[in-house]
Amino acid sequence: MSSRKKALLKVIILGDSGVGKTSLMNQFVNKKFSNQYKATIGADFLTKEVIVDDRIVTMQIWDTAGQERFQSLGVAFYRGADCCVLVFDVTAPNTFKSLESWRDEFLIQASPRDPDNFPFVILGNKIDLDNRAVSAKRAQQWCQSKNDIPYFETSAKEAVNVELAFQTIARNALAQETEAELYNEFPDQIKLNANDNGRNRDGDNCAC
Amino acid sequence: MHCPEAALVSARVLAAEGAPATRSASGVERRPSAPRPPLCKRGSGSLLSGSPPTSRHLWIRIALFERQLAKIIEHLVNNANRYYERDALVADPDFGSILSSLLVGPCALEYSKAKAPACFWTDPPADELVQRHRMSAGTTTPPSVRRPILNFKRSLNASSDDGSSSNTGTGKTAGSSAKDYVESLHQNSTATLLYGKNNVRVQPKDVEEPMPGYLSLHQTAAGLVIKWTPNQLMNGYAESEGIDKRRTFALFSEQPRNRIAPTWTIRPTSLVAEGYRKAMRHSLLERAVQSPPRTPRRPLASTSTTSSDSSTMSVDCPPSAGLNGHPPLTPIPHQPVEQAASIELVCSTMRRQIISRAFYGWLAYCRHLSTVRTHLSGLVHPIIVPRENAEGGLTDERWLAMSDESGAIHDKDEVYRLVYYGGVQHDIRRHVWPYLLGYYEFGSTAEERAEQDAACRRQYETTMSEWLCVEAIVRQRDREATAASIARLTEASGKLKPTDNNDTSEVFEDDCSVISDNPPIVSPEPSENEQRRPDKPVLSRAPSIDEVDNIEMDSERDKETKQNGETENGDNRDVDVDSLKDLDENEDVHLKSVVDNPDMRRESIAEIKRLAEEIVQKGDGRGLLCSVDSAHVNGTGSDFRSSIDESGPSPHQQHTSVIITNPSVDLAAGGSPVSGGTTAQVSPARSPLGVVREESQSAGASFDTLEPADRNAQDNRSNCVSPASSNGGVYSNELVESFALNLHRIEKDVQRCDRNYPFFTDENLDKLRNIMCTYVWEHLETGYMQGMCDLAAPLLVMMREEAHAHALFNSLMRRATDNFPSGQAMDAHFADMRSLIQILDCELYELMHAHGDYTHFYFCYRWFLLDFKRELLYQDVFAAWELIWAARHVASEHMVLFIALALLETYRDVILANTMDFTDIIKFFNEMAERHDASAVLSLARDLVLQVQTLIENK
Repeated sequence: MSSRKKALLKVIILGDSGVGKTSLMNQFVNKKFSNQYKATIGADFLTKEVIVDDRIVTMQIWDTAGQERFQSLGVAFYRGADCCVLVFDVTAPNTFKSLESWRDEFLIQASPRDPDNFPFVILGNKIDLDNRAVSAKRAQQWCQSKNDIPYFETSAKEAVNVELAFQTIARNALAQETEAELYNEFPDQIKLNANDNGRNRDGDNCAC
Repeated sequence: MHCPEAALVSARVLAAEGAPATRSASGVERRPSAPRPPLCKRGSGSLLSGSPPTSRHLWIRIALFERQLAKIIEHLVNNANRYYERDALVADPDFGSILSSLLVGPCALEYSKAKAPACFWTDPPADELVQRHRMSAGTTTPPSVRRPILNFKRSLNASSDDGSSSNTGTGKTAGSSAKDYVESLHQNSTATLLYGKNNVRVQPKDVEEPMPGYLSLHQTAAGLVIKWTPNQLMNGYAESEGIDKRRTFALFSEQPRNRIAPTWTIRPTSLVAEGYRKAMRHSLLERAVQSPPRTPRRPLASTSTTSSDSSTMSVDCPPSAGLNGHPPLTPIPHQPVEQAASIELVCSTMRRQIISRAFYGWLAYCRHLSTVRTHLSGLVHPIIVPRENAEGGLTDERWLAMSDESGAIHDKDEVYRLVYYGGVQHDIRRHVWPYLLGYYEFGSTAEERAEQDAACRRQYETTMSEWLCVEAIVRQRDREATAASIARLTEASGKLKPTDNNDTSEVFEDDCSVISDNPPIVSPEPSENEQRRPDKPVLSRAPSIDEVDNIEMDSERDKETKQNGETENGDNRDVDVDSLKDLDENEDVHLKSVVDNPDMRRESIAEIKRLAEEIVQKGDGRGLLCSVDSAHVNGTGSDFRSSIDESGPSPHQQHTSVIITNPSVDLAAGGSPVSGGTTAQVSPARSPLGVVREESQSAGASFDTLEPADRNAQDNRSNCVSPASSNGGVYSNELVESFALNLHRIEKDVQRCDRNYPFFTDENLDKLRNIMCTYVWEHLETGYMQGMCDLAAPLLVMMREEAHAHALFNSLMRRATDNFPSGQAMDAHFADMRSLIQILDCELYELMHAHGDYTHFYFCYRWFLLDFKRELLYQDVFAAWELIWAARHVASEHMVLFIALALLETYRDVILANTMDFTDIIKFFNEMAERHDASAVLSLARDLVLQVQTLIENK
């Protein structure tokens, strides 16, 4: 059972609509880029086997709808995630700006055991376009300010850095898994630790 | 000494390393150059020291794949003195041979076939699953023509239990099936053990004396089954003869479709003591008829235990180790009793037990089912509309025959019925759909409809003119923001002298929030920054489709304007757009626009748009952004003053919430007070920080609105807060922002909507965009939600005409809005699906229940949200939608549920055979999108509706 747990890494891709989540996933898994993708509705996932540090692991990569309104749906999919990939479009500063809220939202919904050290990876996508508007420096700075999240500049269209980024994702997810192993014996554990504080805060606001 | 196996393996290893991409010739598929999984850390590993360290263990993997590992190790052990040091594990005579023999097991497995049912994440693609299923179930009927769902008896996933209960004593003579049989007696997934008793003595006909055996009562999908198994068989010895000594009494619940109360029959497949059977039948029949369940139910907690405790049977024995630790199966009767008495006692006890347990189980279950049924009765119409002669659907001839001389269609029930059972002939879809969607009234004459169309078109264009104005503002802001952002970027990279005194190190700066394709947020910026803007670089934003279009349109419109407002149609030209571009002393641009009434033609809309953009561009050239500083603006007709500030909204202006339609337009300059219209003034005094700049004067353009905004106030279609007029209106900042957000989302989605479908050329995509924008403008409080594009696209494909498609989309959304996250319908759908599956396909329900995640049925999400638009091909979408629309009036308000159920049922065998879980099924259906046999699915959906109707009717 534990070997099975270890072998499957659940990765969630989040980000504003149109930043290239589906494209990134397909570029990584199928090595293809298509300009035919439609807006993702609901959720879909692809799996791919990767080798991380001599181990074969299966990545289950979940692609989600980008419009924040559909996030309520996400809860079911976030559960048990091992890594969260946040994507923005380097030509669209707004998508960069919403990274923060995507990250917060994920932490609230997925409520990982150790939110401070939960592995995130940031991808600045579409670097093949020339109307770039978010500098690498700015993105880098933000990532550093958030507990040194790894940052990659990618192009799903031209397959730049995609492989590298997902290798990192797998590695970080695996590291997280290994740490988590002890606790995973009881999947339905009741968590009374720090991450509940965040929840309570929200709950208080609601007061319903 | 040479080891041939090692040679083979090392050749393979070399091949794999040399050409990582090639597959081995043997057909064994490997992951090339893949290092060993953890398994390899078994000491003794590194033999072929020549291989590079990364793939050092590759040979083990390959040897395992080739099933040669054991032989190689054996060879090594036998020749350990040549390869190993004396104290190596392999060299040890005992451990070495143990190691090699341990490996024989693993080497017996087939590794090339890596799909164990347990590793669900490496499941084959959906296509393959369906193919496999077709092959394996080649003899069975194809899904579409399967027997009705209510009475299923599966062959696919059939446990030995099913087999043995239906045809007792046949076939199964092999040892393995005996074992299967014994296991089927235990609690398992297909059958619930309700009751079990050891050492029940029965005298089969062909046997001399009574034999002790295990009597058990199982509840399966098919009904109740009583089994008696001789102890010999239970304990696994005498397998050869034990099999046919097994006796099974099967109690079938026949579940005819049309009867709510099936009769229960006992079909003894071999002889039992007569009294026992009689008693059983008697009592069971007596009660069963009253209220038997349609389908079995999950066991009550209390019934699932074997009851050796409560028994008063005379034949009993202490349980000893039976089969596989299953305790109560022991053969030795410690107290041989007289046969007849024994049987009698057995009978009475059994009767009591079975009856009470089964009865209470049923009772609870029936109560539950009746609740579910009551719930389901809301899903279908109580009256079954007959199908006669409706198979052909609504054809051209029938349609013509139905309309009277004035072009009115009266017999709506017949239309609905025909559409429901047979669909609409493609050619007349565009005439029928407006009826189905409730846009046209049945009974309306051709003229009335034409009138309705015209009115609808006018309304559409008016609405469009409103949001087009706002769009112009949005565009302007975008450009500003892009410029700012690019300027910043350039500055940051040191190509420009750093004039910016804003701190770039701040991570999220306001200005970066406003840019091209993104929802711009009008953000206050220090105007000092902006003063230096004139030298900012020219925008490099790639124009979006519609922009290109607009530019083209603009040039056309220019010509038209020169023709003094001549239109192509020449009729109904109610709008006189008179645009004068004067440069007065202040270089103000005066625009004069006369809007006599809101019945604006498309041309005028374009005209407004053009003017707006012109002004915008004018401003843009100077880096001008309009802001309105007004303390008291309350929508229409009130005076307000606008201060035009080249620098864009200042911190001061943050709290002002009003902006004029056309940026940098001074409404007051030429505005007529008579109109009571919106009036804005360049008000230097109110410009931020009290700084008056020359540019603010010189850049001002005045827009002269003769038609006051409140003339359009009666036009209250728009339920947004906009005090908008069709022209020169006032829009609050929030409104502009909110529309901008939606606009960008719409554009993003429209551009990628069905781009593989030939219909959607740029021109038609632009139409789609307009429909979306118009709808969103009218429903700004809900705004655009992903998926709306998909819903509008087929309508546009069918109707071709924007205004018309928009009207139908409006009707469609009346129902569909609730499916979006803002509504509640989705959860209700999921709940209904659950109930339906529970009633109609308990086997599938059990599977889903076993995986708790199914509770939310997320795999149906897209189905319901888009009415299967993404699941089917266009042609099929048309048919499915018609079915859904017509069904509201014929059979069910919730046809989507039944189509969903039909989809699920179509693949139920695949799902069951692969015991798919939550994620598998999502993946499966995502991969199967647009590959379904739509007509089969739809007709199955109709059948399902009928089934539920029948069920309800017979309640």
